[in-house]
Parts: sequence; C-alpha cells; structure tokens
Amino acid sequence: MDAGLIPANLYECPVVESRQVGAYRQVSFVAPEIAALAQPGQFMMVRLAGKSLDPLLPRPMGVHDVDSDLVKMIIDPVGKGSVALAGAAVGDRLSVLGPLGCGFDLEGAGPAVLVAGGMGAAPLTMLARALAARGREVACILGFKTRSQAMVSELYRDVHVEVVTEDGSAGRCGLACDLLPGLVEKRRGRELPEIFACGPAEMLAEVARMARKHGARAQVSVAAHMACGIGSCQGCAVSRSGGYVKACTDGPVFDAEDLQWR
Amino acid sequence: MEVSLKTRLGPIELSHPVINASGTFDVLSADLVLEEDLFDRFPFSAYVPKTVTLKPRRGNPPPRLYETAAGLLNSIGLANAGIDAFIREDLPRLAQLPVPVIASVAGESTDEYGACAGLMEGRPEVAAVELNVSCPNLELGGRALGLDPERTHRTVALAREATSKFLIVKLTPNVTDIVEIASAAVDAGADALSLINTVHGMALDRYHLKPVLGHLSGGLSGPAIKPVALRAVFLVSRAFASLPIIGMGGVTDGQDALEFLAAGAAAVAVGTASFRDPLAAAGIANELRKLMQERGIGSVAELSGLAQR
Ligand SMILES: Cc1cc2nc3c(=O)[nH]c(=O)nc-3n(C[C@H](O)[C@H](O)[C@H](O)COP(=O)(O)O)c2cc1C
Ligand code: FES
Repeated sequence: MDAGLIPANLYECPVVESRQVGAYRQVSFVAPEIAALAQPGQFMMVRLAGKSLDPLLPRPMGVHDVDSDLVKMIIDPVGKGSVALAGAAVGDRLSVLGPLGCGFDLEGAGPAVLVAGGMGAAPLTMLARALAARGREVACILGFKTRSQAMVSELYRDVHVEVVTEDGSAGRCGLACDLLPGLVEKRRGRELPEIFACGPAEMLAEVARMARKHGARAQVSVAAHMACGIGSCQGCAVSRSGGYVKACTDGPVFDAEDLQWR
Repeated sequence: MEVSLKTRLGPIELSHPVINASGTFDVLSADLVLEEDLFDRFPFSAYVPKTVTLKPRRGNPPPRLYETAAGLLNSIGLANAGIDAFIREDLPRLAQLPVPVIASVAGESTDEYGACAGLMEGRPEVAAVELNVSCPNLELGGRALGLDPERTHRTVALAREATSKFLIVKLTPNVTDIVEIASAAVDAGADALSLINTVHGMALDRYHLKPVLGHLSGGLSGPAIKPVALRAVFLVSRAFASLPIIGMGGVTDGQDALEFLAAGAAAVAVGTASFRDPLAAAGIANELRKLMQERGIGSVAELSGLAQR
C-alpha cells in the first residue's frame, strides 16, 4: 500500500492519559516524531519500558489517533502483553518502536466505506478523518460483540457511524458485514465505493468476498502474531497465492485480492 | 583500566564478542525500516543471515509465534528464498557491511548440506559457514539430523570436503548428550561450534486448550532457555578446551554475555533480545565492557572459561 518508507525509531514515551472506553483501554503517550509521521493504518511495537522479562516482547498496536505531540492506542486486554499495557499508569514509560508498516492507500477517489470488527475500530478513526479531509464521502460500519465494546464508537467524531452488535445490546443486531451489501448496492449505477476494513480474519474474508462480487476495491488491515515488527523474524506470515508475505513490512494493509482467503 | 573487547573465531577477528543469532535479525529489511543507518553503524561484530537451504522453503503455517514465560516459541519452519536467491540478491549487499558475514546453511538431506557449503566456497563476501543441523530432514521423516552423532559426523564431513572456509556447526540442545554430538562434529572437521539452537516446546491456547502454533510445536528461545544454553557451553568447552564456541540462548544484557564467556564461549549471539530492541546488541557490548572493567578483567581471552577454572 502506501510506501512504508517512513523511518522508524525506538522511543521511550511517558504515558499522559489512560482511560477506560467500555471494554477497552485508551492509552495516550508523548511521541512527537511518531505523531508527526504516522499514517492511517500504520502500527507500533509497544511494551512497558524497563528490564522486566515477562512480558518479554513488545506487542503490535495500531496507531489509533494522534493529537499534536500525543499518540493514542486502544488496547483489548486479552493476553499477558496487552493486559500489562492496559495497566500502564500516567507517568509510566513505554518503549515504542514506530511508526511501522504500510498503511492505507489514500490515493483513490470517490466514496469510501469503512468496516470494522471489534478492536478493528481503533485504527480506522484516523483513516476516516484523512479520507474526509480529502473530500471523500465516508460511511462507517462498526461491528461489536456487545454494548461495552461498542462504546469505542464514541471516539469517531465528525463522521457518521452505524453501530452493529452481535447481541443487539447497542445499535442494530447482527454483524458488520450484514450492512455492507446495502451500502454497496444502493450505489448501483453510480461510482462504486472503495472498502477499507480492519477486524477479525473471518470478517475480512467476508469483506473480500463481497468486494470481489461487486467489483469494488477493498483494502484490509490484517492482524498477525509479531515478534520484531521490522521484517526480521518471519513470524507474521500471511497467506498469499504462491507463498507467504509479512504482515509487518508488506502490510499490515493489503489489497484484499492480493491475499489468499479460506 | 583499559578493557579490550576484541575476540576471534579462528582466523576471524571480531571487534567485540556480540554477534547476532541466525534468523533473528534481517539487516536488509531492518535497514529499510529503521532510521539508523545499519550499514554505517552495525550493532553486531559479525552478521549471520537467516539459514538458507538449497531449495526455497515456504515455512510453516501461521500462527508461527507465541510468547511464553520469559520466552518465545516459534515455528517459522526455516522459511527462505533458497541459496541461489541468497547468492544473487543478498550477498552483494551484505558485502557492504562493515563486519564479517557468516553464512548459515542447512539441507533437507545430508547431501544438500555438502552442496550448500560448496556453493559458499570461493565467495569472498563469506568469511565463514555455519551449518544449522536442526533443519527437518526428509530422509529422517522430518527429524533433524543433528539429533544423531553418526549423521552429524557424516554431514559435517561432507561440508568439510566441500569448503575450506572456517566451518561452524550449530547444535541443537534437544539431544541426550550434547558432548557426544559436539565430539562428532569436531571429529568430522568443525572449526567452531554454535550452542544452542532453540529448545523443543509447545503451548496450548488458554481457552480452547489446543496447540497455539500452526505447526503444533516449535522452538523455545529467550531468557527462559539461558540455563540450558549455559550448561551446554560449559560442558562442551570443558571437553574441547581450545575450540571456539559461540554461546547463545537468552542473552539479553551485559551480565548474560559475561556469564556465557565465563562458561567458555569466545563470542555470544543475541537472538530474541533483538525483538525487544533491534539495537540491543550495542547496549549489551557496552554493558559487558563496564562489567569487565569493574572486575578488572582486561580481555575476552582472560574472561573466557573462568567458570571452568
Ligand atoms: C524467530 C526465530 C527464528 C530463528 N531462525 C533460525 C534460523 O534460521 N537458523 C538458525 O540456526 N537458528 C534460528 N533461530 C535460533 C536462534 O538463532 C538462536 O539459536 C536461539 O533463538 C537462541 O537464542 P536467543 O534465546 O537469543 O533467541 C531462530 C530463532 C527465532 C526466535
Ligand atoms: S513481525 Fe517479525 S517479520 Fe514481521
């Protein structure tokens, strides 16, 4: 996607805010260089600074938003590493390598439909704003399991969002992809929208299938286990026909039609 | 007091004892991503690229990584583009590095080890060859030939015939008697040994109680395996006093490096710690210098093997 040739560095960054947003934790830290350079869809490798060996490795964290010198991330505390990061208090220092990876390609024209599942909503706020700033019409569908997850939708300012939950506790009941055909088909005869998606693998596979069916371009941001984030370990393999590519340096954003979907 | 960090692996002089462990630092990728000019300021005193095999290997299905207590499980499966691509595309660029390059090779059969070693002969960019005897062997139903002393001997002997380069053999710790395997490698003509490759392991998904890794099991690295690695270095270096050993397994700070050298290593390799900080090696070498200074140890030669005496 967008050439990811923005130089990355390791920074030690003080946490200035940590707050609960429903099921997730939003942590803001001071990182002027990353705030200045980061593009929508890029990520960072983040851990608590210091010599503690457990957790051992940083975790990939999407850039959720930037605000002058501050960088924000949204954490879903599900494993050892993310629980530790969610516990970072104001004044704690983070070790942050970034900005990393190839973000979304913003060069297209015409309307954009953003589809997120769960934590996938985090990196798309910045994208929605960047697309709107380019004069593109933006519609967002945010899908969640429950109402407490859906509270991150409040972080989408200035863009219209449609919330869907699996248990119906907020917005409509169902899956994010349920609304996609409606948004694409209602444009029949006019310019097709470009789809941007981030979320669980099953959701991305469904987005890829629908995009192909309608002949729309879809850019998807994939999640992978990562150790290094800089192309060293080959741990973040993602299937493409004929082999694997690296989520950290070839992605994490890919053209849906370039990947192999099960 | 003046401390010299200089050390040597046979004819190869190193400016300090910290090199990288194969498969954990891709300088060509890292140099593109990081702002640091790695070709100007390279943190390691030698560069070991990822192991290459005669034919390209796709590697194992994801997930390939899982973090355990102070450790990392991986099942990369020696994914690589093959030795021809390595020679054609990577070597010319690696020749620009300010440090010696140690090519790591493996084979899916005994013969392939010989063939790969032979392809490194006559390559001035390559200072030494490291044989990774942990590659899944197709003749042995996927078992690594480094698990067996007789197979190890045959493989190292073939590679020895094929190249006059400084020959390092990197052993797997997943054996009953590492000294017996080391002895087979040395008898067959190994000039030095790297100890250790990753330790067999498995992790289950906390919720589903199924293996996390796509390949089911993998290799454990990082601080969790340091005691296993230190023991291997200690025992092998006691058995072969003048043999250069590259110690690795959990080296994360200067104290770890100090201990591996004291156990008998001539150099240490940093693997998993580079994932915490890609330039960690520079800090480790600096810490090592300070620790040697504090203890009044003037050289690596003086430190190496202290634990044996
Ligand atoms: C992701 C990963 C990939 C590795 N790939 C290779 C490889 O291609 N060849 C090899 O000889 N060792 C490989 N190793 C083993 C390391 O070189 C090293 O022996 C081991 O990880 C112990 O060192 P550490 O604890 O510092 O990581 C790999 C280790 C990791 C974690
Ligand atoms: S995370 Fe290491 S290569 Fe992508």
